[in-house]
This record gives sequence, structure tokens and C-alpha cells, in this order.
Amino acid sequence: MTVPLTAYLVVAALLFAIGVYTVVAQRSAVMVLMGVEVLLNAIGLNVVAFWRFTAPTDYSAQVLAILVVTVGAIEMAIGLALVLLLYRQRRTVEVDAYTDLNG
Amino acid sequence: MMAAFDILAFGACSFVAVAGALGMATTMSMFRSGIFLMASFIGVAGLFILLSADLIGLLQVMMYIGGFLVMILFMVLVMHDPGGAMMAGMELSPLERWFSKGLVPRDEATSAGQDDPASGEGRSHAGNRHEGHAMPHGEGRHGHARDHGGGAMPHGAHGGHAEHRHADHQHGDGGHGGMDMSMVTPVRPLAAWLAAAAGVVLVGMLFLRPAWPVTDAVPDPDSARRVGNLLMDKYMVAFEGAGFLILIGIFGAVLLARPSTHPDDPSRAAKAAVDAKPEAIRDDRLAPLAEAGGAPEPEHHGSHHGHEDHVG
Repeated sequence: MTVPLTAYLVVAALLFAIGVYTVVAQRSAVMVLMGVEVLLNAIGLNVVAFWRFTAPTDYSAQVLAILVVTVGAIEMAIGLALVLLLYRQRRTVEVDAYTDLNG
Repeated sequence: MMAAFDILAFGACSFVAVAGALGMATTMSMFRSGIFLMASFIGVAGLFILLSADLIGLLQVMMYIGGFLVMILFMVLVMHDPGGAMMAGMELSPLERWFSKGLVPRDEATSAGQDDPASGEGRSHAGNRHEGHAMPHGEGRHGHARDHGGGAMPHGAHGGHAEHRHADHQHGDGGHGGMDMSMVTPVRPLAAWLAAAAGVVLVGMLFLRPAWPVTDAVPDPDSARRVGNLLMDKYMVAFEGAGFLILIGIFGAVLLARPSTHPDDPSRAAKAAVDAKPEAIRDDRLAPLAEAGGAPEPEHHGSHHGHEDHVG
């Protein structure tokens, strides 16, 4: 392993920071969902990197990564269905237009 | 030789991953954002394969690119202004170029962390460098947001013009009347600072942390078989739970996306055919019809020529 663990973690941290920026700064709900995908990617990268470097004989980490991907898929489907519904009702996907949903 | 290849592959994959995510976050066109996101996914899949988690890498490509991205692009096509054409007229290109320049310091920090793994001093140096570069980042975004507001102003005034809105019905429909058309919210500088702070804190924590208990053990090259056995044996409940979650999630998504059956629902009203004359277009900004009458003749001439050429 010529590439150290820290390098992978740095890449994951950068991806996480970009994901946070996207989630906060983007105006369209679809772009916010894309940012969430980048966050999930960063998490998966962290999990797999730690698996490879600290416990390569225990494959539980890969199971966890698979579950993260699964939950991400569900989140995506529900999120896009919600966006579609809101778009149909209000003709806009901008999250700023949904502030009246704030109960 | 092998080591050089490892470093090269890691550098390429991480560059694709980070640059793709950065492009996704900063480009003005939603469709391009989706394509950048695909590049980022591919980069992360490459990193997974480098980490000898082949199964996760392939799953990444299949799930994220084959599934999510198709969903996202499908959603984007429904959106208002998916290609960012409205942004084209605003003076953004130099600032966007500024953003692509902003890629360099981050990658320097990454490669610095990769080049000197052992020396703690080198690491803290890289951390400082990253921090030093991250600050102008935030400021640049500050400037961008301010400029952006300025660029959006004339457009808002434009949209406020009642006649123009009638002629340009598409704009009014999107509910974007007098607002600026950017894809980002006014809190963008704040978000940039927040993201820079998160990145600096995470990277700083990495460099402050003493070494992890890294082992030299090599995973089974046939890791997919081991993962499958674990899924069917030790994590059976989690596996079944995930399956149930998918089932419920798909039910929920279908229920949400289905048009409502309530008669007063606007989604139903939109589907009904309306037997009314459309509004007349007052100013379509085309040439008067008198000139259009003379047009067919030269066209015929041209086609005749083309035919002759074809025969010759």
C-alpha cells in the first residue's frame, strides 16, 4: 500500500466539504439531492478506506457500504418523488419557495 | 513500478472525483452538473477498486450511474431552464474560469498529503497550505455572489415589464418573474465559508490524529464471495430489512408521484383539455410577413442547384 490511508481520507473530506457547500448553496431541490449523493459518496469512501487499512479481513465494512448505497437509493427515489409532487403543485423546484412548509 | 502506478492511479481517480464534485457544485447548467456528478462517481468507483473493494466499485457504477443519475437527469429535463441558457447572457464566464482555477490549491493539498506520509511536519505544512488557499476561495465566492446579484438586476427589471412577460410566456410560467435566475441562494458566501470550514476542520483533524492502527494484511481477492456469505449469514436481518425498506420506499415514491384523485387537485386540472383560444402573440420579434412571401423562390432555386450537382 504505497498510498497512505490519510490520502484517501483527505479526498473524502474534500468531497464532504463540496457536498456540504452544494446542499447549502444550491437553490434547486434536485441540485440539493445531488449534493446529498456526494456526501454519501464521501461516507462510503471513508468506510471502505478504513476497512482496507485497519481490518481487511473483516468484510462487515463492505456490507455497511452496500447498505449506505441502498439507503441512498431509497432517499433518492423518495426525494425525487417529493420534488415531482411539489413541482406539479407549485411549478417550481426552488427550495426557497417551500418555506411555508416549515411547520 | 507498482508503487508509481498506484500513486498515479490514485492521483487520477481522486482528481476526477474532486474535480467532478467541484464542477457539479459550481457550474450553472443543471444538466452539466449531472454529467460532472457522473465523473465524480466514476472517480470514487476507481478509488474503491484501488482499495480492492471491487464489488463496491462495480456497485457504485451500477447503482449511482445506472440508477440515480438517470433519475436525476430525468428530473432535470422536467425543470425550468435545465441547460442554464438564461445564465449565458450574464457575465459569469470569467468568474467560472476563476472557479476552475480554484481547483489547483485543493489538489496540491491532496498530493502533498500523499507524497510525504511519514513526516508529521510535512503534513501540518500541507494542512496550513490548504487553509491558506481555502480563504481566498471563500472571498472569491463572495465576490462572485455580489457580482451575480448585479448581473441579475437588469434581468429582474426586464421581467417586471408586463408586456414582455406576456410575449415571453415561458418565463412567467416558471414562477421566476422578478427573481434572479441563478441556481444558488443568496447564502452562497456563507455556504462557501461553511464548506471551507468543514473541509479545513476535517483535514486538520486528520493531520492532528496520531497514526491509525494500519495492518499489512491483504484482503481476499475474491471479496465478493465473502461479502455475499456475510450478507446471507451474519447480516441476514439487515439484508432483509434493506429489501423491505426498498419495497416500502418504492410504494411511497409511487404514491407520492401519482396524480392526486381529489377532483380539486391542481394536478388533475392541469391534465384536462381546455377549450379556449390561446392568447394572441403581440410581438414575436420576427420579420413582417411581407418579406416571408418572397422567401420560397430562392429556396427553390437552391434546391434545383443541389439537384443538378447531385446528378453531375
